[in-house]
Amino acid sequence: MLLTLFANPAARAGFTTSRRLTPKFDARKRLRIAEGVSLWLAVLMMLFVHPLYAEASEGSEQGAGQLYLMNGRSAWQQPALILDSDFNVQVSGMLAQTRLTRTFKNTSDQWQEGVFVFPLPDKATVYDLVMKVGERRVVGRLEPKAQARKTYENAKVKGHQAVTLEQQRPNLFTSRIANIPPGETVQVEVRYQQPVGYRHGEFELRLPTTLTPRYMPGETITEAPKNWRSGWAMPTDQVTDSDQISPFTVRADDVSPQSHRATIALDIESGFPLAEVTSPSHSLYTHIDGTRVSVRPEGDRVLMDKDLIVRWRPESGREPAAAVFQQQWQGQDYLMAMVLPPDAAGPVLRRELQFVIDTSGSMAGESMVQARTALLRGLDTLRPGDYFNVIQFNSQAHALFAQPVPAERHYLARARHYVHNLQADGGTEMAGALSLAMTMEKAPVEALVQQMVFITDGAVGNESALFEKIRQGLNERRLFTVGIGSAPNMHFLREAARWGRGDYTAIHNSGEVNQALKKLFSAMEAPVLTDIDVRWPSQGSEPNSVPSKPGDLFRGQPLVQTISGVLAAGELEVSGTLPGGRRWRTRLHLSHAAPATGLNRHWARGRIDQLMDAASLKGETPNESSIIKLSMAHQVMSPFTSFVAVEEKPLRPTSEKLESEQLPTLLPAGSHADMLRYPQTATIWPLLSALGLAGLMFALAAALRNRRASA
Amino acid sequence: MTRFLVLLASASLILLVFGLWIPFKALVAQELLEKAWSDSQTQQTAQRPWPWADTWPVAKLELPELGVSMIVLEGGHGESLAFGPGRVFGGERGPLVLAGHRDTHFRHLQDVQPGYRLRVQNQNRQWRQYEVTDVGIVDSRKEVIDTRQLEDDSVLLITCYPFDSLDARGPLRYVVKARPTQQKGPNNAVAIL
Repeated sequence: MLLTLFANPAARAGFTTSRRLTPKFDARKRLRIAEGVSLWLAVLMMLFVHPLYAEASEGSEQGAGQLYLMNGRSAWQQPALILDSDFNVQVSGMLAQTRLTRTFKNTSDQWQEGVFVFPLPDKATVYDLVMKVGERRVVGRLEPKAQARKTYENAKVKGHQAVTLEQQRPNLFTSRIANIPPGETVQVEVRYQQPVGYRHGEFELRLPTTLTPRYMPGETITEAPKNWRSGWAMPTDQVTDSDQISPFTVRADDVSPQSHRATIALDIESGFPLAEVTSPSHSLYTHIDGTRVSVRPEGDRVLMDKDLIVRWRPESGREPAAAVFQQQWQGQDYLMAMVLPPDAAGPVLRRELQFVIDTSGSMAGESMVQARTALLRGLDTLRPGDYFNVIQFNSQAHALFAQPVPAERHYLARARHYVHNLQADGGTEMAGALSLAMTMEKAPVEALVQQMVFITDGAVGNESALFEKIRQGLNERRLFTVGIGSAPNMHFLREAARWGRGDYTAIHNSGEVNQALKKLFSAMEAPVLTDIDVRWPSQGSEPNSVPSKPGDLFRGQPLVQTISGVLAAGELEVSGTLPGGRRWRTRLHLSHAAPATGLNRHWARGRIDQLMDAASLKGETPNESSIIKLSMAHQVMSPFTSFVAVEEKPLRPTSEKLESEQLPTLLPAGSHADMLRYPQTATIWPLLSALGLAGLMFALAAALRNRRASA
Repeated sequence: MTRFLVLLASASLILLVFGLWIPFKALVAQELLEKAWSDSQTQQTAQRPWPWADTWPVAKLELPELGVSMIVLEGGHGESLAFGPGRVFGGERGPLVLAGHRDTHFRHLQDVQPGYRLRVQNQNRQWRQYEVTDVGIVDSRKEVIDTRQLEDDSVLLITCYPFDSLDARGPLRYVVKARPTQQKGPNNAVAIL
């Protein structure tokens, strides 16, 4: 470095001076010489060491400037809490049970409270929380949300160790850990289950590890300083809890190298011979043993910057077309049935296809490349006679054509050109795009099937308002969603497609675009089964199956229904209308049901969702008390109940202060940072010069005094 | 005693020289950058000011009221901030965020007041005129810059605060915000010509 270059001449000067000091060779002089030389060597060493030190501190300042947190004494520090996660997943049949152990290590010398907002799979049902401190295990209780908060706050103030887990969105949770002693660790063990996806003869499990920062539409509510916003995502009139769902996002090299890593182990008991296990997101070590397989991602500890997706496929011809599972829980019978409709192809219909593509800032980077590719693939599927349009949206929505145009060569060429030039920038005002697409004039041709393809990462905070908008304005249209990026909001993608009576898919990397979209676009041709009717034997007084009214099924999609209070005997009858109007019927012997666990929780979660849906259909607030009752009875978490675990004995003396820290999440792989930390913008030169000047003046003063004394 | 004094004096001198080396470097580098910047403009590509540089000039910033002009480098890391203000965020479109050291290039920011003009030249020799709308102090421990919330055409200048502090790692930041002025000044026309 330049400093070293500068240091050398000074050092050389030092050497020559010390040599000039050696005219005579008596012992006393020699000692003085040795002393002088060693002194100069010491100075020399300092000169050499200093640039290294300066370089090192400058290096750390880069990171520090951008992302490190600081404590009140204005010394830089990394986040005090180091986070370690361990996913242990057991897949059996159509359900996966996960034990997720999070370890929070306090590396500071102060008591800490950790606040961590994290994603779980979009259909996750949390059913257990345990706090582990050393050898002790404190089992969590389920309490109504407000009460759980109070319990936790009380414990925190009084110095008890405590943990709470709250649901913010169906796939977004907040965990708070109070009173982590300096240098100690606290482990939080969460158990949840999720249904396994089964599409096109392939099973899929998705483990989200981070989230794409969400856009919060609306006007800020709090009186913020005129221009300077503090923190990111202040509550807005459309997303009143945006501060709760917007954890800071940092790059992987901005946290400790030990932090935000996960160990993951999956054990799958599929029930049929497996052909292959693949993942579009990670390299896997797999060990297949007949119907069982154990899966580990390559590399011991996986960076938590993208969803882990694992897919497994039965041997060709062994794909299950139907399955029944049963469980008895507290004297009640639970059944779950899966039926795959026949792969019938209907007549080719002429379509009016609207492509809506998200070009907001959160899509910047790899996501935008995927989205563009997806849209181009979509344009390729258009046939003569089809009509189409392209709408992009960020802070505003913009349609390429004023109304749908026929899929003719010059229109397609214009659309391709438009898509190639799309850039990701700005907000995610989805509502505007939906309005534009749904109020647009129809193509001047009758008898077209109207479809919308929505290509987005779903990074918004106002999901429920958007579902409402979809439900009300869609009319005859069907909405299909294509999820983009390393950590899309799968809850939004799935639910938007459900309210839009369509289907969804997600793309994880650019190589996957073609395959995933081919399946979606072939499914979009027409639903393979409509007007579905499911008849369980000996159904009780009131039907309580979930989902109660199955929607239309698309190609490769199975019907899955869970019911309570029905014995595993008799026959289940499923019927529906095939394309072309023919009626299809199938029967399933329930006595063949395979034993399973977690069916009751799956059912309870389904009932809670139903109650929430019913309320939003009527435009009412959900019936909290019946949801809490259901949640308590089955010990599953809901939007209105939270888990809380409190250690009996207080640990922190009330004289000691408690610091609170928000744990950041990692920026999803392949995306660009939108939020910047303020950089480090001062040098040490005023300090160095001041020290240097002070030293010089002191030396000068002392020298003058010496002189006067000797004179 | 004398030897101790000599040692103290030389150590202090070395500290002083090291200290002064930083602003000296900052001053001299700007001269070298001027050349790299004009090369970048003529060749329309990013030119590294010296072969081993980690950064390159991306814009020219002027504060006409204070008679200050400097070359902006790419990146907000220590390597670029040592030689000039750094572009932390921004490109052809969207907001522009620049950071500089409070004790070298951006020490003039303490004299900037709302209403002052600000000019930024891009690689195509086009000048954009801005007017300072806001000056504020933020705490970098609690706040981040959400570039999505900034107006597309705004400029942020960031430096450390307080200006005369010896603590190089303080948490406060001085932020100057500017918006484009409506009518284009005569300088703009000249620059385009």
